[in-house]
Amino acid sequence: MSDLLTVRDVTKRFGDRLALNGVSFSVQRREVLGLIGPNGAGKTTLFECLAGIMTTNSGTVRFHEETLQVMRRKEALFYLPDGILPWSEQTVNWALRFFEKLYRTSKTKLSELIEPLRLDEIMKARLASLSKGERKRMLLALGLLTPHELLLLDEPFDGLDLRQTRDVMTLLKDHTANGRTLMLSIHQLVDAGRVCDRLVLLSAGTVVGEGTIPELRAQANLPDGGVEEIFLALT
Amino acid sequence: MSGQRKKEYLDIRPASGPHPNPLPKGEGVFQQSYSFVQIFAKEWRELLASRSFWLLLLMIGPLVGHGFITAVGLYAEASGIGGGPAALPQGLTPLDGMLTPAFGAYDLAATFLFPFVAIRMIASEKQSGGLKLLLQLPGNLATKLSAKGLALLAGWLVTLIPGLLAISLWKLYGGHLYAPETLNLFVGHLLRVMLSAGIAVAAAALAENAASAAIVTLGFTVGTWALEYVAAYRGGFLQQLANYTPTAALRSFEHGLLQLSTSIAMLAISVAGFALAAIWLHTGRTWRFRLVGTAALILVLALVGFGANGLRGSWDLSENRRNSFSREDEAALRQIRPALKITVVLSPEDPRLADLEQNVLRKLRRVLTRLEIHYVASTVTGLFEKPEDHYGEIWYEMSGQRVMERSTIEQVVLETIYQLAGVTAPQHIEENVFGGYPLTAYPRGAGWIFYVLWPLMVGFVWWLVRS
Repeated sequence: MSDLLTVRDVTKRFGDRLALNGVSFSVQRREVLGLIGPNGAGKTTLFECLAGIMTTNSGTVRFHEETLQVMRRKEALFYLPDGILPWSEQTVNWALRFFEKLYRTSKTKLSELIEPLRLDEIMKARLASLSKGERKRMLLALGLLTPHELLLLDEPFDGLDLRQTRDVMTLLKDHTANGRTLMLSIHQLVDAGRVCDRLVLLSAGTVVGEGTIPELRAQANLPDGGVEEIFLALT
Repeated sequence: MSGQRKKEYLDIRPASGPHPNPLPKGEGVFQQSYSFVQIFAKEWRELLASRSFWLLLLMIGPLVGHGFITAVGLYAEASGIGGGPAALPQGLTPLDGMLTPAFGAYDLAATFLFPFVAIRMIASEKQSGGLKLLLQLPGNLATKLSAKGLALLAGWLVTLIPGLLAISLWKLYGGHLYAPETLNLFVGHLLRVMLSAGIAVAAAALAENAASAAIVTLGFTVGTWALEYVAAYRGGFLQQLANYTPTAALRSFEHGLLQLSTSIAMLAISVAGFALAAIWLHTGRTWRFRLVGTAALILVLALVGFGANGLRGSWDLSENRRNSFSREDEAALRQIRPALKITVVLSPEDPRLADLEQNVLRKLRRVLTRLEIHYVASTVTGLFEKPEDHYGEIWYEMSGQRVMERSTIEQVVLETIYQLAGVTAPQHIEENVFGGYPLTAYPRGAGWIFYVLWPLMVGFVWWLVRS
């Protein structure tokens, strides 16, 4: 697979604190890339820098092997933040229709999302009244309604129960099979191992490993073990 | 199913190897317009979901009603209702008697209520995280803020319903209206509210949260009041600047005067407010970009303000021509070609200066293109001027001739100018004199409409929208 997005030496400082320290990695076409790391590792900061809604101190981002200027990031990728509650007084139905109309996606696209994300039961609910999991499912639907080739999803399984997590994983895999490329920020390492084709391990703003699980295991000099063991060995 | 979904992603994937043009071309005009309409529709829904907007609607009815009912009552008294002595009919104009007091509620709303509606539209995006989505939606941030501005304007038009009700009642009572001055007042309030919106939106973009933005906005309002207060006794440049404060700018519309300079200045400040918001709201912009953008904006605003200040275009749209000399005098004054220099030795707090300014100078500025006015008093009150300071003198100079006159009465000043210019004073035609419009009518039914029906209707529509 060829690289869709190439990130080189991205650095972000908040005053004296170094949030991202020369982060470099690549995203291959039609893969699910997991960005894993503990709280405060810089996952959300990295996503916001890539999406162009936060400034960086240095670094380059290339898309299809061409430099992607900050002004054009939103044309290439869509970032779905975690923990937001936009348009709290509106209904789920309105929010979904708004994205559907704005991006002029087909009616079938939304209907395909309703069942796996179990949206039918909350369509008439106001966003302010949704539980954490319901809100997450609604936000995921918004992200999946966009036409962008690359989606950055921040903590897509946060707030979902076991069954919902499994359904969403299947849905995301289905989308990558149909041409979408996904980059997921995940702090639950077990989930990351189950859904991601490759992983980028981020610790204290630094990339400490990148590759498939066997590749990372080799980097960590582990004969066996899962994502948790690899992460502990590399950080 | 999967094939169909493939088509819906941006068509930017190469069949094999690197793609020659990895990003789609910029949005066309049609796509931009389509996105703008969708985002405007979203902003309108958000406005309707805002409690502050409904509170504004709820309060504007009684506020307009109070102004209207009081004004109609006073107008009727001045017109001799109840057998009392009537005022001079020339003094009874609907603009002063009804329109300005009834629409005064809108000035109050634009100062204290509407800014909160505008602030909420920005602050809610920042606080809820919606801004992160908004920044990624199609179109640039300036376009999205324009959609917000347009939604706010549409909301303001809804708030005008009580004002239109007041006008309808006035007509029902048999009252007179003069369309040009009425429309001019509407334009004034529209520009006034746009100014409020611009300042509030800029404050909301710059401030950390809604409360801070509200403090900044109110601080601006109080600051303009302080400027007017200081300018009243300092005069000079401050007085010129104070002419562009929201209250002062609106006052000229309330007097039936449409001034190009005031209108352009108000519009420019409104647009600048939104532009400032566009610069600071985008979290993906560097500090350097923001500072350079702000400096450029201030420079452009200063240039526009300077240019607007030099514009003399103005139209007296009042029916009684209160901002103009009589038509005969204007025709005579327009014949004068040489430059006229007037030197006024009166202090800013001297009531004679206010008389001269109100009755003569502001009218003269509108007619004479080559007019210079100098204010040379050295004290604020004029109480302690020495005799050798020539206090109280007004000097008129034209073509090397100088004449001194102390009077501030219109006819005396005009005669002085005519003598100096060698122009014959015109004869005045009686039929051109404004006759006034007395109206002895009680504000029947207005209390019910503004104090009872309007709040009930607002509550009902709010419930409908919510459900």
